[in-house]
Formats: sequence, structure tokens, C-alpha cells
Amino acid sequence: MKLRSVLFLALMLPFCEAPAGAQEEALAPAASWIPEDAIFALEVLRPAPLLELLCGERTCARVTSLPAYRRNEGTKEFQDFLGLIKLLEAKLGTDWRGALARLTSGGWTFALCPGGAALLIIDGSDADMLQSLHEVLLGIARAEAEKQGEAERVSSSDYAGVTCWTFDGQGAHALIGSRLVLASSQAALRAALDLQAGDGAATLATVPPFQAARLAALQDAAACLYLDLARLRRAPRVQRALEESRQKPLAALLLAGISEALRDSSWLAGALRLEQDTLVLDVTLCETERDPEDPAAFALPATPGDGALPNLGLPRRVAALSLYRDLARFYAAKDDLFPERTSELIFFENMMGIFFTGRELTGEVLAQARPTMRLVVAEQEYDPAIGTPLVQLPAFAAVFELSEPEEFAEVMEEAWQKALGLINFTRGQQALPGLIIDRVDHGDTRMTVAYFSSAGAEERARLHQRYNFRPALARRGEHLILSSAEGLARDLLDALGRDAREAPLPGADTLLELDGGQLASLLEANHATLVEQNMVEKGHTMDEAEAEVSTVIALARLVERLELCAGSVQGAARFRAAARLDLAAPAR
Amino acid sequence: MVHRTPPCRAPEVAPAPASPEQAWLPYQPGDGRPWNLGVAAHLLRRAGFGAGRARLGQALEAGPQGTIDALLRPEADTAAFDRAFDEHEGRAAETGGEAALRSWWLRRMLETPHPLQEKMTVFWLERAAADGARAGEARVLLEHVRLLRQHALGDPRTLLASLLRDPAMLLGHGGEAGRRSRPNERLARHLLENVTLGPGNFSPEDVHEAARALTGGFVQGGRYAFVPREHDAGVKRILGREGNFSGDDLAGILCEQPAAAESLARALYRWLVADEDEPERALLAPLAEAFVREHDFGQLVETVLRSNLFFSARAYRRKIKSPLEYALGLILALEGMVSTTELAQDLAALGQELFRPPSARGWAGGRRWIDEATLARRHNLAADLLRGAGRYGDRLDPYEVARRHGCEREDSAARFLVDLLLQGDADLDAGALLQAAQEAGGNPAATLRAFARALARVPEYQLA
Repeated sequence: MKLRSVLFLALMLPFCEAPAGAQEEALAPAASWIPEDAIFALEVLRPAPLLELLCGERTCARVTSLPAYRRNEGTKEFQDFLGLIKLLEAKLGTDWRGALARLTSGGWTFALCPGGAALLIIDGSDADMLQSLHEVLLGIARAEAEKQGEAERVSSSDYAGVTCWTFDGQGAHALIGSRLVLASSQAALRAALDLQAGDGAATLATVPPFQAARLAALQDAAACLYLDLARLRRAPRVQRALEESRQKPLAALLLAGISEALRDSSWLAGALRLEQDTLVLDVTLCETERDPEDPAAFALPATPGDGALPNLGLPRRVAALSLYRDLARFYAAKDDLFPERTSELIFFENMMGIFFTGRELTGEVLAQARPTMRLVVAEQEYDPAIGTPLVQLPAFAAVFELSEPEEFAEVMEEAWQKALGLINFTRGQQALPGLIIDRVDHGDTRMTVAYFSSAGAEERARLHQRYNFRPALARRGEHLILSSAEGLARDLLDALGRDAREAPLPGADTLLELDGGQLASLLEANHATLVEQNMVEKGHTMDEAEAEVSTVIALARLVERLELCAGSVQGAARFRAAARLDLAAPAR
Repeated sequence: MVHRTPPCRAPEVAPAPASPEQAWLPYQPGDGRPWNLGVAAHLLRRAGFGAGRARLGQALEAGPQGTIDALLRPEADTAAFDRAFDEHEGRAAETGGEAALRSWWLRRMLETPHPLQEKMTVFWLERAAADGARAGEARVLLEHVRLLRQHALGDPRTLLASLLRDPAMLLGHGGEAGRRSRPNERLARHLLENVTLGPGNFSPEDVHEAARALTGGFVQGGRYAFVPREHDAGVKRILGREGNFSGDDLAGILCEQPAAAESLARALYRWLVADEDEPERALLAPLAEAFVREHDFGQLVETVLRSNLFFSARAYRRKIKSPLEYALGLILALEGMVSTTELAQDLAALGQELFRPPSARGWAGGRRWIDEATLARRHNLAADLLRGAGRYGDRLDPYEVARRHGCEREDSAARFLVDLLLQGDADLDAGALLQAAQEAGGNPAATLRAFARALARVPEYQLA
């Protein structure tokens, strides 16, 4: 609630009187007003390019074309809001973008401190404009408070020579020249004022990791962020989440490196850059030496040039994940990593025991897979002769590189057919249709495919969802493909045959890529189902559900491509997140 | 500033009819036979799941018999509604399974223009008591409900014959393989004991012979198939009748039995009139006789709903709301729509998971709906529905509803809610409740939410 007040005031910033001239005073950097024990800080150093990206004409055109926007623009509340903006713009003689630019041109700094205290410091270039804005907002707040019979909740007091205001009796703010300081409580505001008065206490500006983050950001970044992981880990919920990820084998496997870095590092620093329409966040965690002999080091590339492979380019790809994980090493260390034998581990071992009868799982099975593995999710194309399922699920596949492909191929084939047999037996017990196993050729590759018979299917456009599955096993050279659908297996075979093996990404152990446009296409294909699901899950009317689902689809389209890369460079964990926004595409 | 609301009045209803003949005569409001908000709400609770203020107003305007006419034969386009919901449910069954189907059925109950049909569909669901866990596919359950809905107010002989070819019914009672060499007595016993005749009205031989009549029926790939070579074509003796009976014949024989007529009349009495008192045989006799004569269940329902007995003190607030009635009643009264996915889970926690009856006897109902644990859960459910945030979000807003009906001030909105939810039946100090709600609230919307939560906890609100 307090945070909401802070944000409300921040959002209302642009609506103020035109400036009559600015009287600037030199103020200490915003970080010097923030206590050193801040858990999180985000400093926007160059607001202009970010404002252009987030509030520019193209973004606004995309936002106003969103179904949720169109649905709400007719409501009274929304019309009132637009009316207020128009009124203020007319009064100010400037548009809201211009006002926003002038009031924030010096940058924004947001910080969260222990106990939930929040601080937002906004530096502008026009003190008069800020003062005028405050007068307008003060008038609105007073009128609202009086209407509700609580006039006393809007008040002011002096502290350290500064007038401190509150509009709701909880949040507090102060104006110092062209700087606006918003705090979630009076105490937080006073603490900031004490720091700026130079009471001798250490501030965030003196914290070395923050200094380093800021220094890196000053070169070319629009913003920098800092997170005190040591303090964050003291929060019970964070502790619990980290502990849970450690205890779950699948989570431990997928998040290897990431969860260790979050567990062991004392801080995290990031720089946000803007490269045309792409937002890039580079994150560095403090240097922590990772012991190559540690049981959890199964994701640590064996040599400096080693790492996860680039993802495979495929038609209709929704997401791709490339990992560097030594599975044999992971499984060999299971007793150290997971002292408690979980039910999923027991199930995994039982199944592997059935599929790979007579073989030692670590040395004779898992060791056959090299640490480089790739997972892919793709939208499906359906054979018109079979039909289209009512719910269109994406196909997914895993591609492994085998150490001894010739020797292991038959072992894998046997295991695959056993798995299909087990599925068929179980489905048969439930009186459900089973899979038919077939061998088909794709070029010079023979693969094993299993499918559900479509004979007698009545509605070809509304097939049961089991027709999303046509599991396939294929091998090309050293690559082994396990796919939920034959089509994806064929695409993978083509990609592996077409592209020479690319060099690994040095130091990277995880590379995730998401294609927003393809995700949107997949969601669109299931539009009716998603709308119906939304209706019963949220109690929405069909119109409301349509608007929400369409908005999600539009947002997915907005993120043309999302890329997350994790790894380590010289002992320090590094993450890179890049989101390319599709601002130019017409709204559909 | 707290404005004290006047003390709540005692319910005004007609006294219980003196004789069985008078009991089933149509109710005509008049001296000592009121037609007021309480009685109208009573009708809409029993013949549906409750109603909002506007619907109550329509009922007051139309009078009891006019309202019952509309309940039996709605003016709204029920066919269009059914088509749309059949489509939703069909897709839900294919994509989300039993849970999704349950969510959509609850949604249907909340939006249907024909609440009586849906209420009677639940009646038959309880009697059929097919275990959904054995159905395999949600499509099978969907067909089961459609069948029950189609015949809910029709000829029970047709319903029973259809149920004997219904995969959900057969699977739910272990009757999916009706082999001649091993007739399924479990399904046959259920038909005789729980669906039609009632305990003590048949012999073990009747069960065995009925099972023989059912042989030949199989469920294959979720569909019913009759395999002639597996049907026992020999002569069977069932309830004094002799012949080469099939499942259809069995349905006819069972429905002709006076015991079946009385058993169904008793069940209908418990469903629509009162679930704790034991009706005298003489009281039920006219209903049972009409059933044997006409085999029209819809007519039976109509007779009960139109009767003096139904509108008398013998019926008024004489049923304990099932979790379904409790939750849907609150939602309908507050003119909102919530997540029925969440609601289905909460109803299951309260003991009423649709498609999952606790036994072949269905849900025991009545007083068994409420014990210390389930009462606390009911209160929690009301609190969750009215919290304004969390799992159910802010979809129910009592203050907004009150304002919509012209009650802007907190005290008038509180009075509106008392009338809407309790029709003044509870002996409660609404002023004190409102004051407590104001202390917990903070703004009118929060205050009225807290007030509505308090009303939903009142003992009288647990009664239908």
C-alpha cells in the first residue's frame, strides 16, 4: 500500500504547471541518500532513451492497441483519468511526455531497505515545475481527504529544515529543489534526510559493489541495479526457495550454476543497456571460486573453451534451451546432493532399471551422453489426412550427443520401445487407445515412430489431444533425438544435417531462447480453449476473458525474442538477459 | 456514524396444512398465506440455487404460481444457452478433464435460465451416484450429466432405461462387462435399493434376476455396446413378473412398483420440502399415486412446488443447505461471478465433489452437511468469496450491489443485505454487526464485505 502511494505520486509527476524558471542547487547523488543496508537499488542514469522506449509514440501505439486497453477505455474510471490528463496538459501547455522528460531528466533511483522501507528519488531539471505539480496534487489529495471525512490525513511537518508531506498518513515525500524524494514512511524519509545532511552514517554510495555496478553502468548503460544477496538470503521465503531448489533433482539439474551462484554470492550487480529496440541486462555476481571437484560442479565446463552449444534453428520454434550438464557426474553425486531419497528419484531409478536392464546407470548409460544437450519446443504442423487436435500442444524434444553412438544406438532403441510398451500397457488397463510402433525413413535416417490410430475419428478438426503426440526416436551421427512428435524429429534431423556443429559458447552453461511471435501463434491456435479456461478460472465473462487472453498474446508478440544466458567468467557468475521488442509490428 | 437497523422480524409463512389433501393443493396467497420476500426467496432457493434482488423482485411481482410457471417453462432462450454451454463443456471435457467439466457445470448452474432443470439434474446425479473416478474419460461424465439433464423433469422410465445404457453409470457401479456367465449384482442392487425401490422392498433373488436382465451391456472405448451373445435370454422372475426381460424391461418393471413411486416421492420431499422430518405415508400417497398413474416426474415436481405444503412452515427454512446451495446462493445473491475452478475445489473440501459421491448412496445430506469442521470451512469459504482479494479476487462486491439497488449509505446497504440474504429471518442485531464490520472495514466496500461475511455465518443462513 505504501509502495503504491509512492508509485502513484511518481506517475503523477508530469502533470504540473509550466516552469517559470529553475533554480538549481547542487545536491549529492541520490545514492548518498540511501542507507548502506539497502537490499535492492535501481538507478536510472539516462532516462531519455528508456522513456523513449517505454513511453514513445510506437510503444503507446502498441499499448493502445492492446485488447485490454481498448476494453477499458470505455469505462468511466478510464475516461476520468484521460480527462484529468487532458485538463492538465491544457493547463500546462505541454504534453505529458515533455513534462515527464523535464521532471526526470536527472535520473531516478529506487531502493528497498530492510523492513520493507522503500525510497524513490527523482531528479528533474525544473524545480518550479515540480513545485507546481505538488500544488496540484496537494489540492486533489486535500479535496479527497475532506470528502472522506479525514482531512487530517494530509499534513506536513518540518524536519532538518525540509518540509515533509504526507497525503495518506502513511507515505511521505519532500521536495528539495528539483529533486523529489518519496518514501514509504515518515521514518524512511527522515532517514534519507539525515543521510543527506551528512550525519556520518555510511550510504549506499560508499558500498563497493554498488560503486562497481555504477561505474560499469556509467560507461554506456541506461541504468544499473544492485542486489545485496547476503541480506536477501536472510528472508525466510528466499531461504526456503533456495533450499527447495537444492532438494529437487530436476530443479537442481536445470538450475545448476544459477542456484549455487545465488546461494554463495554476496551481491549482484547489473547494467541495463538499450540497443535499438533491444533491452539488454548484464548481471555479474561477486566472484566466488567454484571448486571443480564439488558435487554440484556438474554444470561447470571442463575446459575454459567448453560450454553449452548454440541452440538449433528450427521452423516454428517457440523455445530452446541449451545446457552444459554432465549427467553421469550429476547422478554419481546424487547421494551427496540429495541425502533424502525423494519419490521422483526412486521413480526415475525404477524406470531406468526397466529400460536399461542389466546396465549400470551411471557408467554405462548416462556417461554415454556428453554434457552438451539441447531441448526444444516448437509449434506443430498437423497432417491434414489425420486432422487437428482441439487443443494444440507444442512438440518438445531433446537432442543428446553420444560418446559411442554406434554401440549405444541399439541400447537406446530397446529402452525406447520398452517405454512405449509400458505406456501402451498402462493405457490398455484404463481402456484407452494405445500407440502403434512403426519404422520410417527420413532421408538416409531410419527412425522409430509411434502413433495413435486415427481410423474412425469423427471430427478431424477436433481430435483428442492424444493426437498431439507421435513420439519418435532418431539418430544422426553422434546426435540422438527423443521427440514427442515425428515432425519435430524430422526438423531436427534436417537442422543437424544442414548445420555443422557450432563451437560451444565458452563458459556458458545455460542458454534459453524464447520466440515471442511463435509463442503468440501457439496461444492463438488455442485461443478458444484459453478463453474458456480463463472464464472458469477467474470468473470472467467471455468478453473479459477474450480481452485478457488477447492481451497476453499481444504482449507475447511484443517480445520478439528473449534470450537468457548463464555461466561464469573467471570465477564470477554471469547472466545476460536480452529482450528484443517488436514495436513496429502492427497490432493484431 | 452508526445507524442502528431495526431488529429483525420473525418469518411470516403459512402454517402447515392440516390434511394431505390440503397439503398438495395449489398455494394461493391470502389471509395468513403471505407472498413476501422471504417466501419468494424460499421458492427460488428450492427450485434453483437462489437469486439476486432483481429476480426476487420479479418473483414478488409475478406471484407464486406465475413464478413457478416461469421456473418450469422459462421464457429465455434456453436452447441457445444450452448450445453455448454444451460447446464449452464439450471442449472442457476434452481438454481439462473431470475438473474442468466440474468447473463448467458450476458455471452453468450460476448462469442457467432454467435453474429448476439444473437443480433436478443434481437430484438425479445424487441418486445415480456413479463414481466418476471409474469413468476414465471426462467425456463419459459429460454424457452422463447431459442424460440426467435431458430427463430430469421427464419420464423416469426413459431416464432409467437410458441410465442402463450410460457408460458412466455402468463404469461407476462396476457394470462395464455384463457377461452372461457372471451377472453384475452390484449395479442391479444399486438400481433397486438406491435409485428406485428403496431398502426392504426387494429380495436377493430379485437382485440376481435383475442382474441377468442387464447382461449383454458392455462399455467399450467409453461407449455403450450391446453384445447379444452375452445377454442372458432365459426367463427371469423380477418382483413377481416373469419373462425374458432386458434392461429396458427392467426399467419399466421397477418404475411400475408402488414402492418405487413412494421412494421417489419421499426423495423428492426431502429434496424440495424438508430433509429432516419423516413424511407420513398418507402425505406422500397422492404423489406416489400420481407417479404410478402418469410417470411424469416434472408433473410431480410441479405439484410439490405449487403446493400449500411447500409454502408452509413445514418447509420454510427446513432444509440444511448443501455446500453447493450455500456457495451458489451467496454468489447469485451478490450478482457476481467467481472462479468456479476454485469453487469446485472448495466444495470438494466441504464434502460435495460433483461426480465423486462418497458411496453408492450418494451424499447423505441434511444434518450431515454440517459438523464442527465443515461449519468452519463454510465460514472460511464465505470469507474467501467476500475478501475482495486472493483466490476469488474482488468479483463479489456487496456494497456495489446495494448501490445498484439504490442503497448508497452504509446503514441502508446493510439493511439491503439483511433482506437479501436472510429476509429478516434471523434474530440478529444488525446494528452491532454493522458496527463490528465498520471497525474491521475502513471504507464502505470493505465494511459491507465484512458485514456480508457476518451474515453468511448466521445459523439461519445455513438453512435453505
